[in-house]
Amino acid sequence: MNSLDIILALYAVLGAAITVATCLSKSHKTQNTLSMILPVCYLALTLYILMATQLPAYGLGSDYFLIDHLSIYEILIAATLFLLAAVYSRQYVKDSIFIHEMDESNLRLYYAAFNMLLMAVVYVFLADNLALFWILAELTTAFSAILIVILNAPKNIGAALKYIFITSTCMLFAFIGLILIFTLTEDLIGVGTLNWSMLMSVAGGLSPGIMFAAFIFTFVGFAAKSGIVPFHAWLPTAYSKAPGPISAILSGTVTTIGVYGILRMYTIVAQTAAIGKIQILLIAFGVISMIIAALTMLREPNLKKLIGYSSIEHMGFVLVGLGIGTSVAMFWVVFYFLAHAFTKSSLFLSAGIIKHQYGSVRLEYIKNVFQLQSFAGWSLILGAFSIIGMPVSAIFLAKLGILAQSTLVSPVLTVVLLTVFLFAAAAFGVFMIKMLSRKEDSTADVPYFHVGWGMKIPIAILLAIVFVLGLFFPEQLTTLLNTIVSELGVT
Amino acid sequence: MILPTEQLTQILMVMVLATAAIIIMKRDIRSLIKTYAFQSLLVAVMALVFYIETGAVTLLLLAVVFIISKVWIIPHFMGKVQQKLNIKRDIKFHFLSPITALIVSLFILLFVYLAFTPLIAELNRFNSTLFTLGATVGVSIVFMGMIVIFTRKQTLTNVVGYLTMENGVVLFSLFLTELPMLIEILIIIDLIMLTLIATVLAFGIDSTIEEFHARLNPFSREQQTKKPEETTQ
Repeated sequence: MNSLDIILALYAVLGAAITVATCLSKSHKTQNTLSMILPVCYLALTLYILMATQLPAYGLGSDYFLIDHLSIYEILIAATLFLLAAVYSRQYVKDSIFIHEMDESNLRLYYAAFNMLLMAVVYVFLADNLALFWILAELTTAFSAILIVILNAPKNIGAALKYIFITSTCMLFAFIGLILIFTLTEDLIGVGTLNWSMLMSVAGGLSPGIMFAAFIFTFVGFAAKSGIVPFHAWLPTAYSKAPGPISAILSGTVTTIGVYGILRMYTIVAQTAAIGKIQILLIAFGVISMIIAALTMLREPNLKKLIGYSSIEHMGFVLVGLGIGTSVAMFWVVFYFLAHAFTKSSLFLSAGIIKHQYGSVRLEYIKNVFQLQSFAGWSLILGAFSIIGMPVSAIFLAKLGILAQSTLVSPVLTVVLLTVFLFAAAAFGVFMIKMLSRKEDSTADVPYFHVGWGMKIPIAILLAIVFVLGLFFPEQLTTLLNTIVSELGVT
Repeated sequence: MILPTEQLTQILMVMVLATAAIIIMKRDIRSLIKTYAFQSLLVAVMALVFYIETGAVTLLLLAVVFIISKVWIIPHFMGKVQQKLNIKRDIKFHFLSPITALIVSLFILLFVYLAFTPLIAELNRFNSTLFTLGATVGVSIVFMGMIVIFTRKQTLTNVVGYLTMENGVVLFSLFLTELPMLIEILIIIDLIMLTLIATVLAFGIDSTIEEFHARLNPFSREQQTKKPEETTQ
């Protein structure tokens, strides 16, 4: 066994050990600390792989796992978000129990599912075998659903069921696509394979017609996982009903899994003659998602749903970036994963404070934000500022990069994208102005909800990363992103 | 006289299609679950037929795993849940009535056939008629299961729809290729997990609705003043 195999096994061993320890421990503090330890361990191990080993490399035999820079990058983002969400959970969950939003008996389940979700997410990004990727992606759906129903609200059950049924149904279509690819490689090289690295090396000889069909099937499944229109119905409900820290990790990592899968599939079909049609398809679905999300956002009275629809808009934009398909566009698409994940998580964490302060995230209940929760008010303003792509935020850079490339496809596309951004920005602007300017003289009926540092620091860190990256783009990141793009074989 | 494999497969396929049609039409949840068990049995028999023809041990194992998991465990579990939940029939439908759904699925069958014929022709398969037919029936059943999910309101029926879809995927894969055993097993584990979670959630919905009804009277005045997003606990 080499060191990579050991680390790959350690991910599972640590995850399982910490989950078991969580189930055995009785106090909330221990459980919470344990779920902070796990992402820290993952971060350390992943950084070690990045520094000390030659990538890309196979792990645990050559059939199932492949570690390349993209997987490392995604794991680092995911583990950071999980760590911050765990820090945030310490007070959030305690308060949820205090206001009877959650049962104390469900604590263990919450933290166990939290750790298992992190583990599944890490392995999803490491999977080389597309069938394994598919199964792990399904597992993330299952754990996410558990985390959504953890609250004592009947509506949450409905939201989780909708989530499970829509994504799993579509994921079955993705499996049909995988079977087609398997059959195709069986004809071509004698043995069927679903290994991404293998497929990349033989992709040139695959039949474009069948690959197009296979791509459509897999696209349906992975698009549903990312909430692309028309498979998006679950996303706003699920994100708005989930507890604050869970919405943050769902939007930051679990949503990305779908687009990540599409990206991997894209790099395979990019070597066949079907790529022209697929680029048009991706741009079309992306633009439609963006338009529908932006228009819905304009009249959305629910803060968390607004942020949820914004996720659909951003995932649509990522698809457009993929559809453009140049190496520069791909560079910014990969960077977009990071920028979007951190910005969106900060918004959901801020919305969590609002939720606990007012008992609701609907516009009509939120008033006197600056008197009661000035921190959340400011972090929401900064988060909204960043998510709509204003200058000096990370998303601004990524949007600019992709927009500049979109002119290569058609100037009309650029104009359409800009218009949609305008709508989305207007939606956020109007909502923020309405929400933050609502004042009522008597605040007596709304008891003040104390927000500790444990909840403020994660939000501050996320926003700091987002704005620092907007101002100062470290060279290491540029190198990493360039390596990822070249490993994906995009020219 | 023993039927030749090809004819046997065709008969089995028509029967699978018929079970899918029954699942779309039926309102009684108990018989839905039974129909699903029968459908899984047919798929397992299909795997056995292929085993006899090709001699691949994976297929035999697959048939055994299907019979244990999908003919026995899952239907048994769902039957228990159905008894406890005490929901007997699906009464309301979304979008399509059962009859329209059946007509729609006929069109789907035709569409899938037209779409898949050229695709299968591209693959080198020695008996392309049978393969086209198998692939068509498999994918059509996936779509029919999807129709069940989107037209029914009861969670249990939705689960049956999902399971039917999965049978369709298995059928499709049986005809086209032989997936590695590990992947097949993992898919079944995934299936069992999702079935478990969805049915447990069905319990949750049911009990909260009961509680909700029980509380409706004494708290009716408070209900109006409550914020809509507040929990009912």
